[in-house]
Amino acid sequence: MRNLFLFLREHYFYFLFLLLETFSLILFFNYNEFQGSALYSVSNSVSGSVNNLSSSVTEYFSLRKTNRVLIEEMAKLHSRIPEAFYATDLNVFYKKDSVVKLEYKYISAKVISNSTNKRNNFLMINKGSLHGIENHMGVIIGNKIVGQVVNVSPHFSWAMSMLNKDSKISGKFKKNNQLVNVEWDGGSYRTGQVKEIPKHVQIVKGDTIITSGNSDIFPEGLLIGMISDFTKVQDENFNNGEIHFSTDFNSLGYIEVVVDMMRKEKEQLRDSYKSQSKNKE
Amino acid sequence: MTSRTFFFNILRFVFLIIFQVLILNHINLGGYINPYFYIYFILLLPFSTPRWMLLLLSFVLGISIDIFTNTIGLNASACLAMAFARPFIITAISSGNESLIGDTPSLRTQGIKWFLYYSIILILIHHTALFYLEVFRFSEFFATFARVLLSGVFTLMLVLISEYILNTSSK
Repeated sequence: MRNLFLFLREHYFYFLFLLLETFSLILFFNYNEFQGSALYSVSNSVSGSVNNLSSSVTEYFSLRKTNRVLIEEMAKLHSRIPEAFYATDLNVFYKKDSVVKLEYKYISAKVISNSTNKRNNFLMINKGSLHGIENHMGVIIGNKIVGQVVNVSPHFSWAMSMLNKDSKISGKFKKNNQLVNVEWDGGSYRTGQVKEIPKHVQIVKGDTIITSGNSDIFPEGLLIGMISDFTKVQDENFNNGEIHFSTDFNSLGYIEVVVDMMRKEKEQLRDSYKSQSKNKE
Repeated sequence: MTSRTFFFNILRFVFLIIFQVLILNHINLGGYINPYFYIYFILLLPFSTPRWMLLLLSFVLGISIDIFTNTIGLNASACLAMAFARPFIITAISSGNESLIGDTPSLRTQGIKWFLYYSIILILIHHTALFYLEVFRFSEFFATFARVLLSGVFTLMLVLISEYILNTSSK
């Protein structure tokens, strides 16, 4: 026993290193399970308030740009209000409430921390569960997509940006509705990868890729980007391409969180089918 | 460790974390370069620092950076790897005949050659651990390797620049 203590004392440096290193690696790999813990809430509130402070300063540098975006957005909205239409026949524009039901609702929020230089990038938003944000909601800017919410606290949300190895967006060609997957393999934050383009699709540089609406995260038709390059892969069923993102991930100011009001219904439908087919077996 | 160096180290600790979190974390050149200058703190710890303290301080430093970037454990484990290697690197590159002058590793007292070896090796250890842990995929081995090298060069430049500035101002 005495020898053991002597041994431990002599090599305490190695053991302390192993202990601490194991501890931090466990923290790193189990981070998602720790999110409910005290460590997470401390970390979230500390970084949230510091990021809030820093963005309240840096906000001023992009006022000009924010203004421009807002004006564009306003012009777009102005062109949609009823007064902007010339009423040829009132009945054409009349829609019964029961015909149209609101499916998507948008919550505007501010990005208070953001990164583009990591392999896995996230952004923090200054609104949280108190404002109605939940996990797996989409994050968009204008009509361009940004990412999805992966964690919420009462006042902040933590969203995975498209620049993440776990991000896989279901998109489609605007011209012929062929489905593809959009991912990001690291490198420049302006370009991503389009995977699984069916062989028979004629690709042209400049083809627009929009969201497919197949996932419950984004509505259909939001801009993802344009094809900037592509390769024809021999001996495989799919081609790959490069995409130039429409979103400038490095200058996100105010974004919107998409609330799919009918997600619960969709999920229930799927789940009930799953349980049905299970019962049959 | 005198109280003066103690005080300076605390100051450096706080300043480097703020600098890293508020400025350097927002730097991204070409998608590959993002410097991690905060490890300058570990580089500059006095030679006489007890080794357990070296590990603990690095752990605290890494965790503090992690808290701000929401990557709990990532920077901490990279810092620990670097702190673990530090005593061995120091003995390996300081051959017997040239004894270590002064208490703190610096470019002025140890000479450019010693300091370059010292910082290059330690920065590479830290960056390798950090980037490979973050990516955790072998399919992107070479892209990650490029990030390690390019960011390492950038970090080294920042270290050298601050070495020159601080040395002329103090004496």
